[in-house]
Amino acid sequence: MKFSNRKKARQIVKILAPEDYERFQSLKIHDLGFGYDPFGLELESAMLAYAFGKFLHRYWFRVESHGIENVPLEGPVLITPNHSGVLPIDAAMLGVDLAMRMAKPRVMRAVVDHFGAYWPFLNTLFYRCGQIIGARRNFEELLRQGEMVVVFPEGHKGTGKPFRERYKLRPFNVGFLELSLIHKVPIVPVAVIGAEEQYPYMINLKFIARKLKFPYFPVTPLVVLFGPLGMVPLPTKYYIYYGEPFHFYRQYPPDTVHEPETIHELVAKVQARVQEMIDRGLKERKGVFGLGLFPFHKMLSFKEERDMADVKKQIQDKAGL
Amino acid sequence: MAKNQKAHPPARKGAARKKNVLVTGVTGTIGSRLAEALYYDKKVEIIFGVARGDKPYYFNQYDTRRFIYKNLNILRPRDLTNLFLSSQFKEARIDTVVHLAFFNRIYRSSDGESHHSLNVEGTRDLLDRCIESPTVTKFIFKSSDVVYKIRPHNPIYLDENADLNFDPDVDPWIKDRVDADMICQSRKDNGKVKIVILRCSNIIGRMVSSQMNAYFDSPLVLKALGYNPLINLIHMDDVIQAIRLAIHKNVQGVFNIAGADTAPISTFGEINRSRMLSLPSFLLGPANRLMRRLGMTRYYYSVDADRLKYSVLLDTTKAQKVLGFRPRSHVYFQDAAR
Repeated sequence: MKFSNRKKARQIVKILAPEDYERFQSLKIHDLGFGYDPFGLELESAMLAYAFGKFLHRYWFRVESHGIENVPLEGPVLITPNHSGVLPIDAAMLGVDLAMRMAKPRVMRAVVDHFGAYWPFLNTLFYRCGQIIGARRNFEELLRQGEMVVVFPEGHKGTGKPFRERYKLRPFNVGFLELSLIHKVPIVPVAVIGAEEQYPYMINLKFIARKLKFPYFPVTPLVVLFGPLGMVPLPTKYYIYYGEPFHFYRQYPPDTVHEPETIHELVAKVQARVQEMIDRGLKERKGVFGLGLFPFHKMLSFKEERDMADVKKQIQDKAGL
Repeated sequence: MAKNQKAHPPARKGAARKKNVLVTGVTGTIGSRLAEALYYDKKVEIIFGVARGDKPYYFNQYDTRRFIYKNLNILRPRDLTNLFLSSQFKEARIDTVVHLAFFNRIYRSSDGESHHSLNVEGTRDLLDRCIESPTVTKFIFKSSDVVYKIRPHNPIYLDENADLNFDPDVDPWIKDRVDADMICQSRKDNGKVKIVILRCSNIIGRMVSSQMNAYFDSPLVLKALGYNPLINLIHMDDVIQAIRLAIHKNVQGVFNIAGADTAPISTFGEINRSRMLSLPSFLLGPANRLMRRLGMTRYYYSVDADRLKYSVLLDTTKAQKVLGFRPRSHVYFQDAAR
């Protein structure tokens, strides 16, 4: 953003979110001297993104969150939510929620897939708003800087799963847990409910996805029926649950990363906690749109009592253990 | 010229601690600034400057007992042999060689092959002579960050172990840099000469023939539409500081050297008051070629095709810890690029 545009950006934020302006302005970045941090985050761009995101957060998705006090107000922390909904709107809502509702707002540094860097505009948008490409070195650098890093351990498989498999977690990757042990960082499990139904996607056009270097290219019935208008997400009601943090590093030294079985066991614990929070949240919510109507969740095929052993087995199968 | 070059005094007792430095490419902007810095450095006794062409006037101010200039083409093995066998060289007891002679892409002529010879074979020959020489104990090669392979999924910070760019269709100038860098690395276990490779980020400075200088000097600065990567610019003084540290410290190996200023391309363009035009990536190459043909720029897009899209910064942790390098100067566009 041009220097002269920064002032205008702040004025726009003041108009869009006057009551949150001070809060957004207090977000801390590691400025290298020109208003950018080493990963390209710019405060004014982030403020604008949060101000626009706030409208979606408050009026479109009407996000309700619980347990935000479980997120540390300072120091490095890893947040591990489930990922769903075709487009990463769940990540955006989580970021806005953290910026708006934490006692001391922090910038969410979400780890995004490689394709995010490949595409023009998307690349710049992600970097300016604080997101980073999922390279291990980036991850470590952010933790060293004491940032709040959000990693979706399901990866793009979470957002790309078909509607019939909603709220069934894909096996978690293990990298985040290794880094949490190495850098002695707590892990906050998070469940996001409501994103699965925003784009009920049916078919994945793999050949187009390959051409465009996307992980998947979903077609939703709404796009078929309404054309581009079908790209507008359904106004489902979001519920975000922040769980109590795991402090595995207190029991397990960094050398544990050389014990894959232990690592997978710990990852299974995190996955089981997220699944448990999702299941509980689904039971408690009042319909997909928060109105007590369309209780799709009653028809879901997920197991209500998903025990630890199932989750652990799922992860171990993936790892070939 | 020969008249000015009086016999320098024989090495005195106690002077062994002082360095006697040979600098190739000493007439270049960095070379001449380095020579000046070394001349006023109390820990340096003799500066032996080597370059092609007559001795420039600005070297006449130096005491010829401490500053020796030799018109030499290191491309030619005979010249190199003569240099190492010359009494001047032997008497100077050169212990450190700083290799700066490297053709920059922007001065490339139609005869690309001879440049490759100078850049790569010249580096190899010089290094081999240094290893054979009884006095040389350190060889410092100023490399560049263009040797790194840039990909969209690269981490932001690249350390010294990051992948080098071995693409077969890479720009010849990058290929030369990578080849020369690899030659230096391949001889690191010679057991006699300590080899230091300094991979510097984009240098900005008056009269420096660097890519970014040429880029921001263009009347119309073209950038990739939808991308605005962070770049790091280093002031020439910091490059000289890094070379001096490499001369004096007991170090060897590869070091990333980055400057104090990191920002997106558009921010530097704004500071420089450049007229910037964003074009889709596929148009940048043809547009750059057209601008070069019209004499509007000396910048080569093919060298920086990926750099104009993806952010890459150098991880200087090793240089900070081992070399003690910290950038001190900020780039100053009014002088540098205008």
